[in-house]
Amino acid sequence: MKHSWKSSRFLVGLFLGAVALLYLFPVFWMVTTSLKSTGELYGYPPTLVPLRPTLQPYRSLLMEKGYGQLIRNSLVINLLTIVLTLTLALLINYPLARLRVSARAGRAILNGILAIRFIPGIIMVIPFYAIILTVGLYDTIWSLVLIYTVFNLPLAVYMLNGFLREIPIELEEAALVDGATRRYAFLAITLPQLSPAILAIAVITFALSWNDFLFALILTATPAAQTFSIGVWRLVSQFQILWNEMAAAAVIATMIPILLLVFVRRYLLAALTFGVVREKA
Amino acid sequence: MYVRRRGDSLLRVVLLAPPLLFLLSMVVYPLLFGIRMSLTDYKTGQWNNFHNFVRATQDSLFSDAVKAIAIYVTVVIVIEFLLGLVLALVIYHNIKSGWLKALFYFLFLIPLVTPPVAAGVLFRLMYTPSYGIINYLLQMTGLIQKEILWLSQPAPAMFAVISVDVWQWTPFVFFVLFAGLQAVPKDTLEAAAVDGASGFQRFRLIELPYLRPLMLLVLILRLADTFQVFDHVMVLTQGGPGTVTQFLSVYIYKVGFKFLNLNYAAAASIMVIAVVILIFMALNRLLRIAEGGEANEA
Repeated sequence: MKHSWKSSRFLVGLFLGAVALLYLFPVFWMVTTSLKSTGELYGYPPTLVPLRPTLQPYRSLLMEKGYGQLIRNSLVINLLTIVLTLTLALLINYPLARLRVSARAGRAILNGILAIRFIPGIIMVIPFYAIILTVGLYDTIWSLVLIYTVFNLPLAVYMLNGFLREIPIELEEAALVDGATRRYAFLAITLPQLSPAILAIAVITFALSWNDFLFALILTATPAAQTFSIGVWRLVSQFQILWNEMAAAAVIATMIPILLLVFVRRYLLAALTFGVVREKA
Repeated sequence: MYVRRRGDSLLRVVLLAPPLLFLLSMVVYPLLFGIRMSLTDYKTGQWNNFHNFVRATQDSLFSDAVKAIAIYVTVVIVIEFLLGLVLALVIYHNIKSGWLKALFYFLFLIPLVTPPVAAGVLFRLMYTPSYGIINYLLQMTGLIQKEILWLSQPAPAMFAVISVDVWQWTPFVFFVLFAGLQAVPKDTLEAAAVDGASGFQRFRLIELPYLRPLMLLVLILRLADTFQVFDHVMVLTQGGPGTVTQFLSVYIYKVGFKFLNLNYAAAASIMVIAVVILIFMALNRLLRIAEGGEANEA
């Protein structure tokens, strides 16, 4: 074992170096492409670094092609989704954690909600689309707010459930014994302790809604309600593809969730695995 | 245990009613409505004797979609799982420097939060024949003579869509298993090494038992998600060439929104849901096991 130590160390280095390159390069290529002028795209061989870096692709998207509107739609939809998701998650979790709800009923509610996470989007969206059409919400931001809330709820409920269990019930109960109302005890004692959890859920809900493509593709049709990911896709499905603008759109689409999630990265893994995996702080 | 208040049982109902009503109207009702749609004709809206289901069993495009997704799911999960496991082990046991660890942490975080549509764009920028860098690099190094039409030839197209998934989600497997490795007691590993256990023996006998529940979790989550792959396929190939990458979601989408037969699409998707229910039942059991394990540790 000893004699192969050096060569195995070299192999490990080579392997990890290759992996790092495979993860760096696509991102690098996207960013560098987004900074090229349209003329430079057609040169051969392709340039690694833009000869004359320009922000023209971004300007064209945001100023001329109305992508600012799409970003605004996404922001409004995602913020409304956060509010609705958190409200519903709190309404579900508070009674389960603090009031007498039978263990069986509690389990049934939580399992039912977890099951939503495994409904393939396409299965849900077909009848949803038919219903949305008849109630007149097609191509409005509300259709997306509703379905994003549905699909973010399992995660929010599970995360909140975990956090609520960690907050000692005694504090709240002491207040109740001293004559505080339940509402006061919740708002003044429990809610402040939940705020990091609520922030984490909000950010992750935002990112997952921002990342959606399928629902927005089916439930919206015009820039009045379309989201940014539809904008990214529109550039791909065009007859003549402008690689620099497509890359610029992808940069914007990627940067926003990255910037947000850096703040709550500790919770990301817990969110993606329903609290089964917790990272050490 | 609980402090009881007068009005608590009423409060319980008042609080739980709105979310449960929401779920009833937004989840249960649409699903029931979908079943109804699947049993009726798309033109007349009349009951049509399971015609949509019969049609699905005879539809060669549907069976193509099933075949395509079976290949995709199998290949993607095997690669992601093995690669993620190897990366977790190699990085955990070999990288001691803090900043290198941080570098990999950050590199692997990016794909996890990248919108799948953007991940598709990322790779389209590299695979495309005219501007793509991959063909250029392969030709420059002499690995290929003629350029490969990555997105319009059957095998390369399948390779391309698989590569995006592997790039994006191997880090997820890595993170989960890496977190699992941290729970393995270090002194047990060291004692085994002193006693002469080989690296593989240490993995199989000491680390594997800790990782097993997490492995199951990761496999089930990846299974549920790869099964419904859609976004980056629409960016890269839109199901082509032919039906090579026309996975279930893509095919159902086309039936519903290109051929405008929502009822047939609903029937096809209901045939899919049986599989999903099985996946969920497995996960449910697993979560219970995992929770039990956690409780024992505490």
